[in-house]
Amino acid sequence: MKLKGEYTFDASREEVWKIFRDPDVLMMALPGTKSLKQIGENDYEGELQVHIGPIAGSFGGKLTVSNEVPPESLTLTVEGNGKIGFVKGAGDVILINQGDTRTTIQYSGEIQIGGRVASVGQRLFDSVSKSMIDQGLNKLNGILQDRTAVHK
Amino acid sequence: MTKHFIGERIKRNEDPRLLTGQALFVDDVEIPGMLHAAFKRSDYAHARILSIDVSTARERPGVVAIFTAQDMGEDWMPGPPLVSPPPTVKDVTFHSRRQAPLVKDIVRHAGETVAVVIAENRYIAEDAVEDILVEYEPLPVVTDLEQALAPDSPKVHDDLDSNLAAHMYQQKGDYESAKARADTIIKRRFYIDRGAAVAMENRGIIANWDEKSKQLTMWDTTQAPIPIRNGTAARLGLSDSQVRVIAPFVGGGFGPKIMMFYPEEMLLPWASKKLCRPIKWIEDRRENFYATTSERQQLHDVEMALTRDGHILGLKDDFLHDTGAFDPYGLTIPLNTQSHLMGSYVIENFSSNCTAVFTNKPIVTPVRGAGRQQGIFIIERMLDIACKELGIDPLEIRRKNFIPPDAFPYHNVIIDQAFSELIFDSGNYKAVFKKTLQMIDYERFVKEEQPRLRSKGKLVGIAIVPFIETTGVGPYEGARVQIETSGKVNVSTGYGTQGQGHFTSFAQIVSEQLGVAVKDVHIITGDTAEFHWGTGSFASRGAVVVGNAVHAAASSVRKKVLKQASKVLATPEDELELEDGLVRVADIPAKSISLGELAALANPLRGAVEPGTEPGLEATDYFGPQSGTTASGCHAMILEVDPETMMVDIKRYAVVEDCGKVLNPLIVEGQVHGGVSMGLGNAFYEKLQFDENGQILNASLADYLIVTSFEMPPHIETGHFETLSPLNKLGTKGVGEAGAIPVPALFAQALENAFQGRDLEILETPLSPNRLFELLQESRTTKEKSQ
Repeated sequence: MKLKGEYTFDASREEVWKIFRDPDVLMMALPGTKSLKQIGENDYEGELQVHIGPIAGSFGGKLTVSNEVPPESLTLTVEGNGKIGFVKGAGDVILINQGDTRTTIQYSGEIQIGGRVASVGQRLFDSVSKSMIDQGLNKLNGILQDRTAVHK
Repeated sequence: MTKHFIGERIKRNEDPRLLTGQALFVDDVEIPGMLHAAFKRSDYAHARILSIDVSTARERPGVVAIFTAQDMGEDWMPGPPLVSPPPTVKDVTFHSRRQAPLVKDIVRHAGETVAVVIAENRYIAEDAVEDILVEYEPLPVVTDLEQALAPDSPKVHDDLDSNLAAHMYQQKGDYESAKARADTIIKRRFYIDRGAAVAMENRGIIANWDEKSKQLTMWDTTQAPIPIRNGTAARLGLSDSQVRVIAPFVGGGFGPKIMMFYPEEMLLPWASKKLCRPIKWIEDRRENFYATTSERQQLHDVEMALTRDGHILGLKDDFLHDTGAFDPYGLTIPLNTQSHLMGSYVIENFSSNCTAVFTNKPIVTPVRGAGRQQGIFIIERMLDIACKELGIDPLEIRRKNFIPPDAFPYHNVIIDQAFSELIFDSGNYKAVFKKTLQMIDYERFVKEEQPRLRSKGKLVGIAIVPFIETTGVGPYEGARVQIETSGKVNVSTGYGTQGQGHFTSFAQIVSEQLGVAVKDVHIITGDTAEFHWGTGSFASRGAVVVGNAVHAAASSVRKKVLKQASKVLATPEDELELEDGLVRVADIPAKSISLGELAALANPLRGAVEPGTEPGLEATDYFGPQSGTTASGCHAMILEVDPETMMVDIKRYAVVEDCGKVLNPLIVEGQVHGGVSMGLGNAFYEKLQFDENGQILNASLADYLIVTSFEMPPHIETGHFETLSPLNKLGTKGVGEAGAIPVPALFAQALENAFQGRDLEILETPLSPNRLFELLQESRTTKEKSQ
């Protein structure tokens, strides 16, 4: 399955980049994240709780950041397993400078799902994952604005 | 004998029990102390198992045992090959790879069993399954048939050179010379996708090993209780007499329930013996989509050689057949496809390469139609295309090529699924076709109604498709018929029953011989303790093979009855008649004795049974046909397409069925109706949606659309046509799969007809409203085409 989209933050590219590399902030922003720990320079480990239609459960897995070109682009790779199936995917994120207080991110990637989440939840997976991403990005933007406000 | 039972429209003996919920199904069986099983299945379609951690699961209260492949030790072995490749086809290649009770190292399709939990109840078992942690190394997955044969494809079985599971070539005449003589060669590629059988009742097994009596009793939703008994005894090192398999009422078989052995079928008896406890497992719907077999994916490259006026000179069809991750069922399906590619027609020159392919998808075994549907789809589509290319009427091209009624037995030279030559024993295809045309009022519709409706902008189409169905193959079945002292008759057979009406049609055969009421004949099916020889319910063979065995046994009992009554009534046998449960002197009806009294006399408490005779009025007999008998039929329909939604409304549906001697028209019609509903699913609604990783994306009845009463035609008009089979005494042919076989071909023809004036050409099945919309977008009007 393909995931693709874009979102514009009300913050500079450097600030958006910083927040993307901060697991504590990411954990707050991503809906259903129960834990997210940095285990290596570019590797994180965590647990994500999801509800997809009739399916609910958690995925434990790894998040790896690669191809870093700060503050322009990076690649995220996820691999998760749980009682409700598995998720595996990779996506490229590009940060585009839109002036000092605006940054557009574009993301595109492929995600593979298996198990119950695929066989029963597939119909809803697309919309659920989009809404989770949107929720997360909105939350991040809120956090960013709060931070910017503090700095001011 | 004055009263007849065969051929009568008799309501089914079993229906009061079934309709009031009084019939025993596997899940109804409750045994004190019974444990429940749940399976840990692979989420991956292809992966290496690195580790299985059952420690947390084991600690859950109520968990009795957890087994993995390692725990089975030397008892671990794959299932037996069910059907061997045909030894009679020259140079056949076949790589046998079979499913195991639990995966040892590599999972090859999603849903394969990795571990089993046995617990005090199903809730605990399911929870414990979720506690099991399996670490996998995912391997590349192959699902596409052509990709699977590419040199760089991931291999489903890495010990093989490729994903080629089997190859066989069959020919009749010389296609190349026919091609050289032809005025036209038509070439097309057809794609048929996979659908599920979706029986109302999922699979279920109960195994109960009794340590004191050293007896194993197994209730199983199998279509083949005797082979399951034999195989289970062999796997567990028991004697056949220590194992009793009962297949009670089963809520739909449709083929997949004859897969022997399913992993669960191997595991439950083994675990029960190990734990000395009864264990129950009932498959849930999601499991059913992955763990129960399905069918029909094939890719065909077809060539037809014709004369200008529409005579078929030859047919060439090279096809790929998806067998899934294993091939326990041999080449039955592709052999059936080859056997039906020539349809109802005289085709002197035929050439067909079949390549069966391993993919990382659930196992493929027959589903109602079992390869026949694909064959009929191809030949009938090719004829429809030929009509358009040659400017010939679709009725005309069929009439021109039908095997004429005086050509039977008609030799097709190639080998069929029973490994004998494909010979059509009898039939009258032209007459069946004519009758169907009359029933649907074809001519009037095309000349008057269709133009009238079209002028109102309605998209209405008509179609007619004849078909043949190979049925009633060997090896054999048997039955025992016994008159009780009550005058009632007991009949037992090893054959299993899944709703076909055996309790009535077999009873009618007995009543015909013994003159007893149909309701007084008690049929026992599928219990190895009652009858222990037989093979199973497949290939539409019940009425033919069991029916004739019942007939033979009942005839023998009739002889015994006459012999004994002749003595008792002091009357020659030929002056006696059997009616109303009595044997009476034809001319002096008052002089009679009841069958019950005769049965008592035949089993005396004193005196002696004469040497050379047997006690009781009982006989056992068998029927083993040398080759199958070929039924035929024809379907016609009128449909209307909604131009906005592409949904289809079937206005009229007519079926004429020639299944030889009709035992009970009501039952035949029921079989046809059920078959048509499955066929409609295969044509327009049901498709298993796999992603490129071998995941089924619609493994629930919310997403997988089965045909309901809304999609069915309001009424199916059924006509019967009897051409008796010369291959058995009753003259019967099978009808179990017939209803499903021609429907996708019929549907495609009707859609093309509804969109007359566009070059819509349907080369695939199943369709869907979405897919039809896409095909229409791609098609052009005749005007656009000529530009």
